[in-house]
Amino acid sequence: MDFAALAPSANSVMPSVHPTSQAKEAAFSPYEDHGGTNLAIAGADFCVIASDTRQSNGYHINTRFAPKTFKLTDKTVLTTAGCQPDCNMVATRVRQHIEWYKYTHNRSISTAAIAQMLSIMLYQKRFFPYYDFNILGGLDEEGRGAVYSYDSIGSMERVPCQCCGSASALIQPFLDNQVRNKNQKGKEEVTAFDPVAKLSLETTLKIVKDAFTSATERDIYTGDSLQIFIVTRDGVEEQRYPLKRD
Amino acid sequence: MAARVELETTGFDFGLTRRNAALESKGTTAPKATKTGTTIVGLIFKDGVVLGADTRATEGPIVADKNCEKIHYIAPNMYCCGAGTAADTEFTTNMISSQMELHSLSTGRETRVVTAMTMLKQYLFRYQGHISAALVLGGYDVTGPHLYTIYPHGSTDKLPFVTMGSGSLAAMAIFESRWRKDMERQDAIDLVKDAIEAGIFNDLGSGSNVDVCVIEKGHVDYLRNYARPNERALKEQSYTFARGTTAVLKSSVRHLVQVTDEDAMDTTL
Amino acid sequence: MFLTRSEYDRGVNTFSPEGRLFQVEYALEAIKLGSTAIGIETTDGVLLAVEKRVTSGLLVADSIEKILEIDHHLGCAMSGLTADSRTMIDHARVEAQNHHFTYDEKIPVESVTQAVCDLALRFGEGAEGEKSIMSRPFGVALLVAGCDERGGQLYLADPSGTYTRYKAKAIGAGSEGAQTELQEEYYDTITLAEAEALALKVLKQVMEEKLTADNIQVAAVTPSLGFHVYSQEKLQTVVDSL
Repeated sequence: MDFAALAPSANSVMPSVHPTSQAKEAAFSPYEDHGGTNLAIAGADFCVIASDTRQSNGYHINTRFAPKTFKLTDKTVLTTAGCQPDCNMVATRVRQHIEWYKYTHNRSISTAAIAQMLSIMLYQKRFFPYYDFNILGGLDEEGRGAVYSYDSIGSMERVPCQCCGSASALIQPFLDNQVRNKNQKGKEEVTAFDPVAKLSLETTLKIVKDAFTSATERDIYTGDSLQIFIVTRDGVEEQRYPLKRD
Repeated sequence: MAARVELETTGFDFGLTRRNAALESKGTTAPKATKTGTTIVGLIFKDGVVLGADTRATEGPIVADKNCEKIHYIAPNMYCCGAGTAADTEFTTNMISSQMELHSLSTGRETRVVTAMTMLKQYLFRYQGHISAALVLGGYDVTGPHLYTIYPHGSTDKLPFVTMGSGSLAAMAIFESRWRKDMERQDAIDLVKDAIEAGIFNDLGSGSNVDVCVIEKGHVDYLRNYARPNERALKEQSYTFARGTTAVLKSSVRHLVQVTDEDAMDTTL
Repeated sequence: MFLTRSEYDRGVNTFSPEGRLFQVEYALEAIKLGSTAIGIETTDGVLLAVEKRVTSGLLVADSIEKILEIDHHLGCAMSGLTADSRTMIDHARVEAQNHHFTYDEKIPVESVTQAVCDLALRFGEGAEGEKSIMSRPFGVALLVAGCDERGGQLYLADPSGTYTRYKAKAIGAGSEGAQTELQEEYYDTITLAEAEALALKVLKQVMEEKLTADNIQVAAVTPSLGFHVYSQEKLQTVVDSL
């Protein structure tokens, strides 16, 4: 690059740009970010899905309790982050398809089937995507914990643990280290070939709570309260904890 | 013939403006400044002025500092809360502070609040809003208590109660409903604390603790962390790692100094 | 009896005063003209067997196909106007693939049967404006066989759009005699090998020609192998062991 040409000369004048003399493009922006963070961890015979409940817009808190994690069946839970109406729409449509599946095939739908269906539902809107980051958690047909992570247009992967949303950059490395044993010499890594964490439910819950209290410290869009869904063969249990409200 | 280079000795250096603009148009992003998306307030009570501020500093969506100081010293009888770009508020108040000190030394008098206000607004106006400092200036001088707000473009207000920053609306809601003329000292402090807390809890740019500064005739109380409504909850477990958890990929030792046995560092810890 | 029908037996959309749709009933009659097809549920899968009418020595027997694959775990045998089955089997195959694509799992046997039956009454315009796909009811009945997590299952889908599950079922020209025979011979613990013998024995009784490996077709659906049509050699051994 020719930096000499870019150096200021003595008589150079910054071009004046009058605002009204320029052509303006009226932009259509249908997307809004409502913040919030979600995560899911798959255990040997359980799955933990958690999210905070703050819904915000810029520096403004819309509400301190806007649940964005949805119980779909007795063994599957969906958690969403991004644009609230898009998240809600995806959850509503998935639930509708689950009903249809039940009526058509006269049986309850498996976690894996919901996972595939959600992927397709997202890809169908490839060129006008839902602004929505999803994680699907539950039990698979063998009763093992299952976590499926998505991008907004339907790329899907089964993983041991996943975090998405505004504090995902803060929490995901923590989960990689604590759940998948990454970067810990002498500990066996949990890989995608066997995507189930080797942790007890008790330890998993501690990790989840610490992840959220810590993210609340540093991410302005995460806080207010924490919803934890625990999926076991007995069904789905919901727990709630307060988070800092500042 | 030797070239003579003359350097400007005061003010900002705009030498790289055009280079940076060219780099940015080619896709380079400029480094982000720390902003204090903030709640700052001030009010006049019976015996003086109370200033208040939250303690959160942000860098985009991330909290950069959980307990920063936003009430800056100007003069012994005068303090100034700053909102906007952290560096701008700090340097602006620091510079005015030193000018006030010089002013006080050359006049042999205590400085007046109106002097600081005028210097600040003239300075900010000169930079046409490019110095993003939104200030609440309060003090007590020979003419009594004074409270000003100074906007980044250089305009000022003189009012009995003021708020600024991203949490100003939340804080003003509290002031509008509860501020009274000639309030008692403790009532004034409580009102300022409640106004800042309204900002802390309802504005995402503000958070953590409440700093308060009470300025009365001949006396200042800087109440750092007057309220701490956001203590971090205890962690569920500790995250210490066993020795050797981090893999040693390669090692190389260079002997730059001679180490004798007696001086050897204790590495057993 | 036929005289009284004359007013009402032409329109597919018109009930007779007695509440009957004659065209659908005639379609059921068309099945009885078809070659015999038999299906048997066994302990280790479902067996399908059909007779082929090789009416001439010049006819290439291999070109008659009356048992078709729908998916890896699904097959079907037919009787009646076999050309009509094209639409139904195409539809069944699409449904099975769609289900696999959408849910990453095998379509249940009952669901694919239901999907086929959904077509059966599409000879008029649908309530939601679906195009009619044909001008008359189908003239073919299907025996749908498959294995899913509920085990092996056999369904009969007929032109009225009704489907019924059977342990053993015969359709086509020889169905009356064959069904009686099946009723007598069937037992719940029947194995696939035993069902092969039973099906061929029954076919032999109702077929006009002599049963050979050339004028029958046999297929099975098992959990391990899925749908598979018996090879000529295998068929020959079964026929020989009769």
